Amino acid sequence: MAMPIAHASVSTAARRRGSLRPHGRARAILASYLFMLPSLLVIGVFMFWPILQIVWFSLHQWSFIATDHPYVGADNYRQLANDSRFWGDLHNTLLFTVGVVPASVLLPLPVAVALNRPLRGRAFFRAAYFLPAVSSYAVMAIVWSLLLQPDIGLLSRYLQLLHFPVADWLHDPSWALPAIMLVGIWKTIGFNMVILLTGIQGIPETYYEAAQVDGASTVARFFRITLPLLRPTLLFVTVTSMIASFQIFDPVFVMTGGGPLFSTETLVTYIYHEGFQLFDTGYASTIACILFLIMLVLTAVQLQVFRFQEED
Amino acid sequence: MLHRCFSSRMARLVCALAVSAAVLIPPQASGAASMTSLTFWNGFTGPDAPTIQTLVSRYNTANHSSISVSQNVMPWADLMTKLLASYAVGQGPDVAAFHLQYLPQYVQAGLIAPIDDAYSHGLSAAAIPPDLLRSLKIGGHYYGAPANYATLMLYWNKDLFRKAGLSQAPTTLAQMQADAVKLSHQGANPQYGIALADHATIPMWPILMWQNGGDVVTADHSKSLLAAPKTIQAVTSWATLIAKDHVSPVGLAGAEADSYFQGQKAAMEINGPWATSGYTQAHINYDVAPVPVGPAGPVTLSDAVILVIDKHSPNLAAAESFVKWWNQKPQQAYISLRSGFPPARTDMTSDTSLQKNPFVIKFARQAPYARFYLAGLKNFDKIDTDVITPAIQSIEYNRASPAAALRKAATQMNALLP
Amino acid sequence: MAMAQPRTWARWRPFVPRVGTAILYLLLIGLAVVILFPFVWMVLTSLKVESDIAAAPPRLFPRQVSLLAYAQVWDRLPLLTFFRNTVVFAGGVTLASLVCDSLTAYALARLDFPGRTVIFVLILATLMIPVQVTIIPVFIMVYHLGWLNTYAGLIVPRATNAFGIFMLRQFFLTVPRELDQAARIDGCNMFGIYWRIILPLSTSALATLAVLHLMYNWNDLLWPLVMTTSTSMEPLTVGLATLTGQHEYEYAVLMAGATLAVAPLLLAFLSIQRYFIQGIAVTGLKE
Repeated sequence: MAMPIAHASVSTAARRRGSLRPHGRARAILASYLFMLPSLLVIGVFMFWPILQIVWFSLHQWSFIATDHPYVGADNYRQLANDSRFWGDLHNTLLFTVGVVPASVLLPLPVAVALNRPLRGRAFFRAAYFLPAVSSYAVMAIVWSLLLQPDIGLLSRYLQLLHFPVADWLHDPSWALPAIMLVGIWKTIGFNMVILLTGIQGIPETYYEAAQVDGASTVARFFRITLPLLRPTLLFVTVTSMIASFQIFDPVFVMTGGGPLFSTETLVTYIYHEGFQLFDTGYASTIACILFLIMLVLTAVQLQVFRFQEED
Repeated sequence: MLHRCFSSRMARLVCALAVSAAVLIPPQASGAASMTSLTFWNGFTGPDAPTIQTLVSRYNTANHSSISVSQNVMPWADLMTKLLASYAVGQGPDVAAFHLQYLPQYVQAGLIAPIDDAYSHGLSAAAIPPDLLRSLKIGGHYYGAPANYATLMLYWNKDLFRKAGLSQAPTTLAQMQADAVKLSHQGANPQYGIALADHATIPMWPILMWQNGGDVVTADHSKSLLAAPKTIQAVTSWATLIAKDHVSPVGLAGAEADSYFQGQKAAMEINGPWATSGYTQAHINYDVAPVPVGPAGPVTLSDAVILVIDKHSPNLAAAESFVKWWNQKPQQAYISLRSGFPPARTDMTSDTSLQKNPFVIKFARQAPYARFYLAGLKNFDKIDTDVITPAIQSIEYNRASPAAALRKAATQMNALLP
Repeated sequence: MAMAQPRTWARWRPFVPRVGTAILYLLLIGLAVVILFPFVWMVLTSLKVESDIAAAPPRLFPRQVSLLAYAQVWDRLPLLTFFRNTVVFAGGVTLASLVCDSLTAYALARLDFPGRTVIFVLILATLMIPVQVTIIPVFIMVYHLGWLNTYAGLIVPRATNAFGIFMLRQFFLTVPRELDQAARIDGCNMFGIYWRIILPLSTSALATLAVLHLMYNWNDLLWPLVMTTSTSMEPLTVGLATLTGQHEYEYAVLMAGATLAVAPLLLAFLSIQRYFIQGIAVTGLKE
């Protein structure tokens, strides 16, 4: 590359060292914040402020169609602690997350590796696997519930022809949640695969070439090069999948409405029920705050596990 | 200081700003200054949509120089969400349609305009089904008018009945239960005598309670009757039939129950007039019969969507005129013929134009026996979804005995009554 | 040089790749069948007549192919208006997000300033509140800004997204820092590095994010439903919702609408695919 025209106010030596004088440092910090300004504005006004409002609502008996909103302190939280339906929903949400996240992060990984190779038709496979992500959750949930109906649904019929035992999946308290979990995995596999693929393609070929020269096998290359360099991407995929699973709403709302017997009701479905069907915004906000805290803790744990501060 | 790193930066920034500015300019709103513009929000989606669309166009044509109604249609659940948000900022629509049961809480919140005026000048109170009229009056004032009115009847599949050796629909409760058993068989190709839905539906189980003389709540809304002996008896008899003879699938939503009947997997279904066009299109050989009579005499359930006016609407007079027009005989006849619903007027049963759709008359004849479910109760939604449905489901899934589940539900419900 | 493989293994080696590839293809195709099946059903159902859909036993293929459902969707809904609104809304959010998200992600990944971790965690925290919870307060805010039922009200609150910031930050972290140093030596400042080094190397991530933003907002129902009050501003999802009812599902019409809604997104994804294929052509590090 051509040698630069040195800027008069900063010494060449200082720039080569990569450091700036204090006056330049203050400007650098200001510039950093300027980069983030548009995002911070939008997030502050339209996301953070409403979150503070939600906390406020949770401390009151609040309904948007009521005329007064008495302060009740921690009463809503006390009610929540004694609410067996809440604990049941938390249990369902955890089950759903544990069932969906590992599968939807680990299953796409070998697929992404496979599709990174020059295979014939890989563009077709990529598009095919990504299609669920591109479609509307609510509509596809309707399609799935039709396919899963025992006597009228096509999937049940095919399973019967294959002599598979067929249950009334969505109306059986033991099978409804697993059925919805399957739909959840189906929806996210392609999505995560595409992101993992992008991450894999970010790994420079030179590393693999060097490894091959050293005689490393495919498996060793995967575990020694691909996996470690994919760490930021894996962290991303795991955290976002976890957050999305914890907030699952559409398939539950459409396929079972939270039933049967609340076996599929999740936290956000409960929030929706309280906030939009019973118009009890105060209580809905309380559940939301607890949900938020749980996710915050889980995310912090994941960030630790993946050691996100290390940027090698 | 010129530097190649800055070269195209300004140009790109300006471009981006220009694009965003262009995008953020809202489309021009049209408006004739002399016209009154009414907003009308409703949940008449699906096959009902074209009917209501035509009706609104007719009104606009008839009033083309003074009033123009613009509709916003969305599924009922979403409509309630949006109404909530809009009323919260005083931006409610001039006219809204929603299910009758929501009226008490909106009135109590001071969001609905009283329309006694309309009732003394054009809206005929005498023509409105009595149970409905009663529910429209709160604290001595009228707050709504009918948008539509429906009763439930027993749909029965003639082909499946004939195959089981039955020639006609049951007329008594005992026959109904016996027929249900005859029409049910398990095995490779299961068939159910009846498709009973327990959630996300126009309710069916309350009818089973009423048939036997049981009830959900006392007439003055002071006490729950879920644990009354006749209610327990009714629910127990059906629960036994479901458990032993599998007369119905369990845990069904309304749409799923419809699928069972439409797929000819269930021989009976208690349903409203909206199902007729779908079943006819599916070439089912069916008919509707009055709900079989039990010890309490003929009874069935009615359901109504009503029209309300925003208290802060600047166009009260125009809105009232729209509401009155909606309830006039020609409009009611049109809605009925197109949708199969009975008219929301009791004085049209001998109207010859209605003969064109035989279902209309049949459903209209049920009006004297039709009762509303949980009307006039502010907490109706919570009672239905959080108390009654879970109780029914726990019985259907054998998690609790009918007596225990209903007693628990009665206690919970009493806590929610005013 | 690597040690030679044991001799028995060596004899089979020429065959293994072919068998291995064949099995790989079988698995990939099997997976594709499972994943695509609901869509195949959806499209085929949209070509059926209503009576065919409810028939028992259920069949996959239509007895008679009919485009009636599509005609009905066209008749009942002002599809072009909805389409325009969806494009403006989803496209606008995507463009705005790409700009804002990448700027912020760059700062979080590359620049050193106090409060960096705190801000990142706070931004991430906004992902943890479900949209249903904040939608009414935001609605009230948008109303007070006078942006209800306008494109501004639909787009601006969504102009940046923690998901995008997070994704790009993770991706920017993988771009080798040596390139930054080289650019700095060349005289580029922070913005220059962002514009000349980071962005061009991130086309696949940006393209991915663009598709993800586009498709999330294209398919979003609750937000535009609450933020629009007139049919002329509604996007496709809100319009299609009018095809569903509590008791009446017209499956063919609903599936036709859904097919029409998914098709443009699929096409968008297919056309962006080549940016994925390109991968990263690292120019190498100058010694």
